[in-house]
Amino acid sequence: MKEKNRQDNNQEEFLRGTLDMLILKTLTRGALHGYNIAERIEQGADGVLLVEEGALYQALHRLELRGLLDSEWGVSENNRRAKYYRLTAEGRAHLERTARRWERVSEAVSRIMRIA
Amino acid sequence: MGWLHGIRLRLRGFLRRRQLDRDLEDELQFHLKMRALRNREAGMSAEEAMDAARRRFGNPVWWKESIRDMWSLGMLESVLQDLRYAGRSLLKTPGFAAAAILVLALGIGSVTGIFSLLNAVILRGLPFPSPERLVLLWGNVQRQKIERRGNSYPDYLDWKAQSTLFEGMAAYSGDSFNLTGVAEPERLAGEWVSAGYFDLLGVAPIAGRAIAPADDVSGNSNTVALIGEGLWRRRFGSDQAILGKQLQMNGRLFTVIGILPAGFRGLSDGAEVWAPFAASASASDLAERGSRGFPAVAKLKRGVPVRQAQAELDAISKRLEQAYPETNAKRGVEVALLTDELVGGLRTPLYVLLGAVGFVLLIACANVANLLLARSEARRQEIAIRMALGAGRGRIFRQLVTESMLLSLIGSAFGLLLAVWSVQLLGKASPITLPTFVNPTTDWTVAAFAAGVSILVGVFVGFVPAYQAGRQDLYEALKESGARSGDGLARRRFRGALVIAEVALALTLLVGAGLLMRSFQRLSAVHPGFDPNGMLTLTAALPRAPVAPPQPSAAVTSDTGAVVTGRQLLERLRALPAVVSASVASDIPLGPGGGAIFYSAEGQSITDAQTRPRAYVHRITPEFFATVGAQMLSGRSFSETEMEGRANVVVVTDNLTKRFWQGQDPIGKRIKAGDSASKNPWWTIIGVVHEMKYRGLPENPTADPDVFIPFSDRQREVAILIRSSQDPSGLAAAARAAAREVDPSITIYEIATMSERVGRAIERARFAGWMMTIFASLALTLASVGLYGVMAYTVRRQTREIGVRIALGASAGDVVGMVIRRGMALVSVGMGVGLAVALALTRLLHTLLFEVSAVDPLTYLGVAAALGVVALIACYAPARRAARIDPVTALKCE
Repeated sequence: MKEKNRQDNNQEEFLRGTLDMLILKTLTRGALHGYNIAERIEQGADGVLLVEEGALYQALHRLELRGLLDSEWGVSENNRRAKYYRLTAEGRAHLERTARRWERVSEAVSRIMRIA
Repeated sequence: MGWLHGIRLRLRGFLRRRQLDRDLEDELQFHLKMRALRNREAGMSAEEAMDAARRRFGNPVWWKESIRDMWSLGMLESVLQDLRYAGRSLLKTPGFAAAAILVLALGIGSVTGIFSLLNAVILRGLPFPSPERLVLLWGNVQRQKIERRGNSYPDYLDWKAQSTLFEGMAAYSGDSFNLTGVAEPERLAGEWVSAGYFDLLGVAPIAGRAIAPADDVSGNSNTVALIGEGLWRRRFGSDQAILGKQLQMNGRLFTVIGILPAGFRGLSDGAEVWAPFAASASASDLAERGSRGFPAVAKLKRGVPVRQAQAELDAISKRLEQAYPETNAKRGVEVALLTDELVGGLRTPLYVLLGAVGFVLLIACANVANLLLARSEARRQEIAIRMALGAGRGRIFRQLVTESMLLSLIGSAFGLLLAVWSVQLLGKASPITLPTFVNPTTDWTVAAFAAGVSILVGVFVGFVPAYQAGRQDLYEALKESGARSGDGLARRRFRGALVIAEVALALTLLVGAGLLMRSFQRLSAVHPGFDPNGMLTLTAALPRAPVAPPQPSAAVTSDTGAVVTGRQLLERLRALPAVVSASVASDIPLGPGGGAIFYSAEGQSITDAQTRPRAYVHRITPEFFATVGAQMLSGRSFSETEMEGRANVVVVTDNLTKRFWQGQDPIGKRIKAGDSASKNPWWTIIGVVHEMKYRGLPENPTADPDVFIPFSDRQREVAILIRSSQDPSGLAAAARAAAREVDPSITIYEIATMSERVGRAIERARFAGWMMTIFASLALTLASVGLYGVMAYTVRRQTREIGVRIALGASAGDVVGMVIRRGMALVSVGMGVGLAVALALTRLLHTLLFEVSAVDPLTYLGVAAALGVVALIACYAPARRAARIDPVTALKCE
């Protein structure tokens, strides 16, 4: 029971970290609201990563509370009130760190996959 | 600092919770609408589009909740919620809240007030670096008991040269410096100090330099001096140019070399002038090994215990005793911690008072706990409903403790105000003389103390009521109709225990207060051998013969061409209205000054050093005994002719004649200063007066007699005693003016009525007695209010029972008797416990008591009787109410 929990947690952790990284990456070119971010990730990932869009908002708020994102209310392209998120300096640094790690791991994994 | 950022955001979110909720709702709605819009563009119907958007999103309510949870402050949030709830519920019962807050404010305020004194006197410590290494060295002598005598300069130099355990050593001696040669002469307190003195105390001049070893020599008519910042500002307008200038003091010239910082008053705690120690006397006087009179301050090397330093100095004293048997027989050194010397005497009274206010606080807590208990009972239903709705016991407990905590926090805020205010008042009224560096203010230590106490109190008073509330039987509580519920046994026991504790604590305090007050009464009743009422005393510094450069001044010389004398000043003062008699003396009773001599009685065998006769010599004029109201046992005072020339007559106190001429007529017997073989003239005893507490109250520091010889006109610093037919304090201004008339360069100081001097001698006893009485009265009031509260509550609870009794024929007297018996049963148990506690604790008081035993039966009985009467009154009112219960209404309302 405990063992299973830990596995779940690990998996969740992994997905969460990946989602965080994608969000941060999406925001490198400027402020976006939640729906924009969802669309961008969707376009890039072909719906593989995002199971439920609610998880995206949970992630946004988590990142905001950690100080990696900053938010501001603005007006959307179709004139509605929307919450825009922006990378903070801390968020940018965090993204660089996780992206490097991600590259190393994925390179290693693909190398092994090629060899095997 | 990510977590800090998070807490800040969450706090902001908490404070604007609604805004946060609305924003979250908007944000999610916006997303759903955008998605639905896209879906419609892809060709779905409006309904399909929204459904698809929701599916895509997941359960919006669930996600929203999960995000909301992320923003919550967790534990803190529920605490804040509890606080809000507690505040609201206290506001609903403002009477209860006000009573509880008042009681707690009194309790916490008293404790905090005494703590801030303790903090200033003991915790903050001396204003010198490493005070734990500073010691005073007192030369002492082994007589019947070991007496402190002070040091001689040669002894001091030997200690300094031979000891190895001190970082430094410096002699110092307080003196007065009469500043003259300026427009307004002034008498300044000062110190003669060795070169290392300022270094030892860690004080550096703010301008100029300290005393160098080269300055610390005798034989120069012109020496150096440092002045205090206060004097510099007051007299010299803070002008740097004072450095290098000369001041004329005590007829000598001093070159000002430095200014010492404000707040530094020297070890004599009042000094404004400092001059080199060795310059205080001639080289030959300083070389007198037997001439002792000043302490030395020294700093132990790091890690050296006092004991070890004492042992080393003991060894040095032994060597000196062998080398100089004449002067150093039975002479030793006492090493005493400076802290003990300066504030040691205040420690016991302050700890005793802290204990006393601790008791007051406990009683206050018991009262509030009782109030809370009654309140939680009145709220049984409310609590039961909350529990039925799913609040856990822990939650209820936390809620109720939060409430008591809130009460206690508000109480302690008021208490802190009360403490600040009363300590300020204490500072102004100054019932005791504290060292000037003691400044009882409310600092962070005091505030932290008050906060700590209030948290403890909050838990303490809330714990039992909260615990009990959580344990009640839900079903029973909901079934009952509020006020009618019965009184549980556990609660009744708890209330009984509270009353017993309150009575016991109050009795203990009352006993303490009673003992201290009786002790103070005894002290006040000590007959000092003179009559302090109607007497004004002052000291006058008379001008000395002018020094070079001579400043011719008509005022300085009297008609005889000499400087004005003490007796000339006296003549003028005697002419003031309302003066009954007046006298000049060398020193004032209970004032500073006065020296001892060894003497021999004619025809008596020479005795060893320990019992060698010694007496304190005072120079007086003939009216002295009449002025102070001393009792002349036989003989007479001096005649005017004996005042002139060398009359060699003496008046002595009866303890001298009792020692040598018990049962004989002492008049005509002779004594002389020094050995009987010495060349000193014999003094013939012409009068005997009753022993006087001339040098200390309640007892002279040593049992030696006092002897009186004719006043010498050579004396420049004279004590003046005036007996007046009116309030003597009214004479002060007239005396000052009269002195100025005689000679404007006379400085008058230390003006005080004799009653004030007597009061000062016993001020600590009075302070301890009164403070204890105030706290004991507070305790008695709180305890009787508590008793009243419990009895009134019990009567209300037992309305039906009492109603039944009355219906069955109990008379009003029966009912009153029943209620009073119940109350007094608790009170007598409390008194029993209190007496036992008092017997155990008052032993701690014994150092503060004078001629009163710590188990004085009269005090115990009186206090118990007083408490009993107050308790009876507290029980009587509820008993009367019980007797007036109308059985019909009582039974109907059930």
